[in-house]
Amino acid sequence: MGQTRGRTLFFIPALALLALFVVYPVANTIWLSFFTPEGEFAFFKNYADVLSQPEIFDPRGFERGFPYGALIHNVIWIVLHLPLTVILGLVFAVILRDIKGGAIVKSIVFLGMVTPMVVGGIILRFLFDGNVGIIPSVLALFGFAPRTLTAYPDTALFSLIAGSLWLWTPFSMVLYSAGLETIPDFVYEAAVIDGASPWRIFFNITVPLLKPVTGVVVTMTFLWVLKIFDIVFVATMGGPGGASNVLALQMYMYAFREFNPNAAAVVATFLMIVALVVSIPTFKAAGGEE
Amino acid sequence: MKRKMIVLLILALAICSLPGATAEKKLTVISGWSGPEMDAFMPVLKAFEKETGIRVDYQIYRAEDLAVLLPAQFNAKTTPGDVIYMWSWFITKHAKDGHVLEMTGSLKDADFIPGALDAVKVDNKLWGGVYTGKVKPGFWYRKSFFKKHGLSEPKTWDEFVALCAKLQKISGVKAPIASGNGVGWPLSDITEHFIATYAGPQVTYGLIDKKVKWTDPVVKSVFTDRIVPLLKAGYFSEPIEWTMALDLWWRGDYGLYFMGSWITGMVDNPDDLGVFSLPGCEGIVFAPDYAFVPAYTKYPAEARKLLAFLSTKGQEIQVSTGGHIATYKVPLNAYPPVDRGVASLLKGVVALPDLDDTIGGEWQAAFWDQLKLLWVSPGRVNEVLENLQRKAN
Repeated sequence: MGQTRGRTLFFIPALALLALFVVYPVANTIWLSFFTPEGEFAFFKNYADVLSQPEIFDPRGFERGFPYGALIHNVIWIVLHLPLTVILGLVFAVILRDIKGGAIVKSIVFLGMVTPMVVGGIILRFLFDGNVGIIPSVLALFGFAPRTLTAYPDTALFSLIAGSLWLWTPFSMVLYSAGLETIPDFVYEAAVIDGASPWRIFFNITVPLLKPVTGVVVTMTFLWVLKIFDIVFVATMGGPGGASNVLALQMYMYAFREFNPNAAAVVATFLMIVALVVSIPTFKAAGGEE
Repeated sequence: MKRKMIVLLILALAICSLPGATAEKKLTVISGWSGPEMDAFMPVLKAFEKETGIRVDYQIYRAEDLAVLLPAQFNAKTTPGDVIYMWSWFITKHAKDGHVLEMTGSLKDADFIPGALDAVKVDNKLWGGVYTGKVKPGFWYRKSFFKKHGLSEPKTWDEFVALCAKLQKISGVKAPIASGNGVGWPLSDITEHFIATYAGPQVTYGLIDKKVKWTDPVVKSVFTDRIVPLLKAGYFSEPIEWTMALDLWWRGDYGLYFMGSWITGMVDNPDDLGVFSLPGCEGIVFAPDYAFVPAYTKYPAEARKLLAFLSTKGQEIQVSTGGHIATYKVPLNAYPPVDRGVASLLKGVVALPDLDDTIGGEWQAAFWDQLKLLWVSPGRVNEVLENLQRKAN
């Protein structure tokens, strides 16, 4: 009994900090999202108003092209970035596991991860610049007219997604590398003795045994993409014409350009709900059984 | 006796530790000027320090960053600076909320060019100071480049289009006009110049006051008849980071560059600079910088004194370094020769406020962003104008 009371006492400071800096702001944000800027209680009407804005969802995009609205742009980002990050990270980790100099190559790949996202955004801006960028120069070798890829509505979002792969793939590579170290050698040895091909070993041993790691990579990448802001803010500011706008940037625009904290709270709450809905089942599916 | 000594010592220490008891008064000025612009501004602050003995620190924050930082600071009743350079709309907005110190009586209208202080007034009360301004006179070119290729300043619209066509044919020229891009403002400056010239100054005022719509036929014709044909003909480059565009234009990759008068302080040889407005121009944007004293400054009297100094004597010092035009009545001989030429462009035309800086808020960001879209997709002009009007509503 005394031991339980002692534990409870030690638990209180952490609980108080959590309540003050996490629970209260979250609750207050949700509360704020139900009010209009004039202070009237609007409940879900606020959500309908904000989420139907063309900045969030613009169905005209399906006829004329970008922009489709920040929500669709986030979806495109997730659909492209998530599988590519997982696959590339896994491929890098497996290929570089046993080869000579693999650690050096891993370190080079990891540089993208240690680059601050704001700096990464600036680098991306110049990387895709028609006058000085390496990407348009390389594309010019294949007959494409050199142009600033982040300046055009049809290429801006895809350029940022490609750039973000460079910045985020190292994360999955490192996690997969650590995961590979946990697979006992005798499993592979047994498979080789049984005559399994390298592909079979990869798909029947490596991939299943890395399932918990994949869960973490998928969830963390999903959350990172969902709240992506800094790269977009620095590289394109969501432009041109909103063609690379994302939800977190729109939240910033509502809060600090329009000075409309209620609309910003709607977007923040929406992002939080999506994050919870996706991440909890993913975590459970990946490692819950263990 | 010993006890008394200890008490006295503690008392003395307590007094000394009181905020401001022995601390030197130090004011902080915040603006977005860095590099050469900051170097040109520092003599002004030094002159104030010399005159008053009050120390002044300088910090660099872009206006876009201050727009995020200051509201939170003000809500916490604190401020990162004592005199802050900021957009006029931001100053008046926060003055209404009680976050700005009143300056009424510290500056006299008669000492400034007409209307210079209007942008920081609310109900005839003054909430800020006005500093020097930047003129956005038109298209800059290198005299040596024009001479080499036998080019001359256009006097009519047709001559302007013909000049662009000639520039496009010159070997090594990527596009006749370099389009500077930052967060989007250089494109907005070009657009405002076209509106002021071909729709007239009154339409500019109407757009600011929201009495004229962006979809109005007069405004629309400026876009469809003037800007879009130039864009479609490839006379404007795609948006390029504006300092990079400056270098590229200066080395001859582009023939013309639309920029404000601060360009005179950013090139190697200002004497080689020539500038012309669009033919028939009736109004030129003259955009002064504004500053204010937050209500939460520790030294209100000293901060007011500094702002008054910056708005008056400070301007005289600033214009002598080049690239600035005074709003305070400064003698003409205080200017370097190249700026006297820029100031002369204002003769006979209406000095207009900067349209997007005056409106501000989310609309300003939308304006910049929509123009970036227009520049690369001129066929979407109707959509751009509709979006601008939707944001203005």
